[in-house]
Amino acid sequence: MSTPPAIECTQLRKVYHSGFLRIPYVGLQGLNLEVRQGEIFGFVGPNGAGKTTTIKILMSLQSATEGHATLLGKDCRSPDSKSEVGFLPERPYFYEHLTAQELLFFYGRLFDLRGAELSKRVHELLERVDLKSSQKVPLRNFSKGMLQRAGIAQALINRPKLLVLDEPMSGLDPLGRTLVKDILLEEKKRGTTVFLSSHVLGDVELLADRVGILIDGRLHGCGTVQELVDSTMKHVDCAFRIPNELDLPGKQISHDGDLLQQRLAPEDVSEVLDRVRSAGGEVIQVVPARSSLEDVVAKEVLKSLRGDVP
Amino acid sequence: MNRLLAIASNTFREAIRDRVLYSILFFAAGVLLLSVTVSEITIGDGEKVVRSIAQGAIRLFSSGIALFLGVGLVYKELERKTIYTIASKPIPRWLFLLGKYAGLMGVLAVELILLGALYTVVISLQQEFPPGAVFISWLMLYLELGLLTAWALLFSSYSSPTTATFFSLAVYVIGHLADDIALFGQNTANEMLQTLSQVLYWLLPNFELFNASEMAVHGMAIPSAHFFGALAYGLGYSTIVLVIAARVLSTRDFK
Repeated sequence: MSTPPAIECTQLRKVYHSGFLRIPYVGLQGLNLEVRQGEIFGFVGPNGAGKTTTIKILMSLQSATEGHATLLGKDCRSPDSKSEVGFLPERPYFYEHLTAQELLFFYGRLFDLRGAELSKRVHELLERVDLKSSQKVPLRNFSKGMLQRAGIAQALINRPKLLVLDEPMSGLDPLGRTLVKDILLEEKKRGTTVFLSSHVLGDVELLADRVGILIDGRLHGCGTVQELVDSTMKHVDCAFRIPNELDLPGKQISHDGDLLQQRLAPEDVSEVLDRVRSAGGEVIQVVPARSSLEDVVAKEVLKSLRGDVP
Repeated sequence: MNRLLAIASNTFREAIRDRVLYSILFFAAGVLLLSVTVSEITIGDGEKVVRSIAQGAIRLFSSGIALFLGVGLVYKELERKTIYTIASKPIPRWLFLLGKYAGLMGVLAVELILLGALYTVVISLQQEFPPGAVFISWLMLYLELGLLTAWALLFSSYSSPTTATFFSLAVYVIGHLADDIALFGQNTANEMLQTLSQVLYWLLPNFELFNASEMAVHGMAIPSAHFFGALAYGLGYSTIVLVIAARVLSTRDFK
């Protein structure tokens, strides 16, 4: 039997109604998405793109208007589908009357964990997220970063096969972010699938095996960081030694004697290299300037604003 | 069962760490103790008046706590978004609701035991050890609190605490006037009012069924038919209200 995807969304659509007149607002427009088991999947997009809506539907916090979704092959609406899933919501809120230790015991019991097994896991996690020294402090006295770490710990309490994290780096200082990144990489090594929604694209670029770009409730691109970035190469910086003046397309960076540095559009490179060579010139350097994930997302947003729908 | 107990014990712990609960309890204990002094300034059977005031205080403050905690039970989870990390666990929403209900019923049981113990001590010192009917009346009060909490929970699962308080209070007051509503329907000549009073009588809870305080105060035995009738009514009605509340909650989107 083949392994089911960790997450599969089929034609997922969500329409909200707001105000007295119940004016409809489309949150998701037929989202199709597949997250493979064992990968770190980055889910990115601008504010209001529908990332949190998708997560809320997957976590049964909201129902889809149309379409369906599965978690590890099980219908996401069934409580049973959550037994191997860990979830950290955006800006997590916890019971302030509990201490970090009580909180983890509580969430562990919700997964039917008990006794020595639960106790061991709680202490392991408090250690892992660096909250051991604050385990007896009520959460109301926790800083934002400490709450976030407590949130990560509760998401890991059941040794999940799938970890769904909505903005896990939010509120963390650089040390906290490194800690979370390390945890995510450890989890991946353990075989856990990580579904990571984040605005911090640098972190996603660094961690994710594949990335999905969500804009206006639609998936505007999905692939490895390499694929997404390559497909949107910014420009190519070239250096030539040319005997005579040549009228080349693109932007001249510098011209010192017979040494010319020119910035070219990717589609012009081949033609320009041919012209330089046939004019008796020498190609010294060709450096493609890659876009960052941020550039890719920005480009997709601009395309979307122009009405260019995939 | 472990999951249900986890939610119930968390609800219980949250309530008993709430200082407002202690303020209400402290106030109730104060009224209970002060009721003793009433016998000094009462003409007639002062002892009966003391018992009546003390029983009334227990009833009033218990209902107050059930209302105060019940109306915020689900709403607070939604407002503070603590429900996000519960509903995303392998927990059906009805189980969550039942856990919250069980937790609050635990708080009410402890509260009733504390006030009951205080009543027993005070009345034993001033008069004599209360008869069995007093303890049965508290069991019946507990059934009433169970039904009131179920209603508060239902309102709490779809409206704000203010609205839920208003509706729960309305149900509580009307529920105590149920017999009067039925009597009004029997005495009126207007057919529409007759039907309306009948519908209200059968639809809304009859909280007076659980009121055995007067019998207990007067030292009368509570007939077993009355007790078991109230028990069946209380459990049955509370179950129906909780099922509706679970249905409402299970169809809700958490924004």
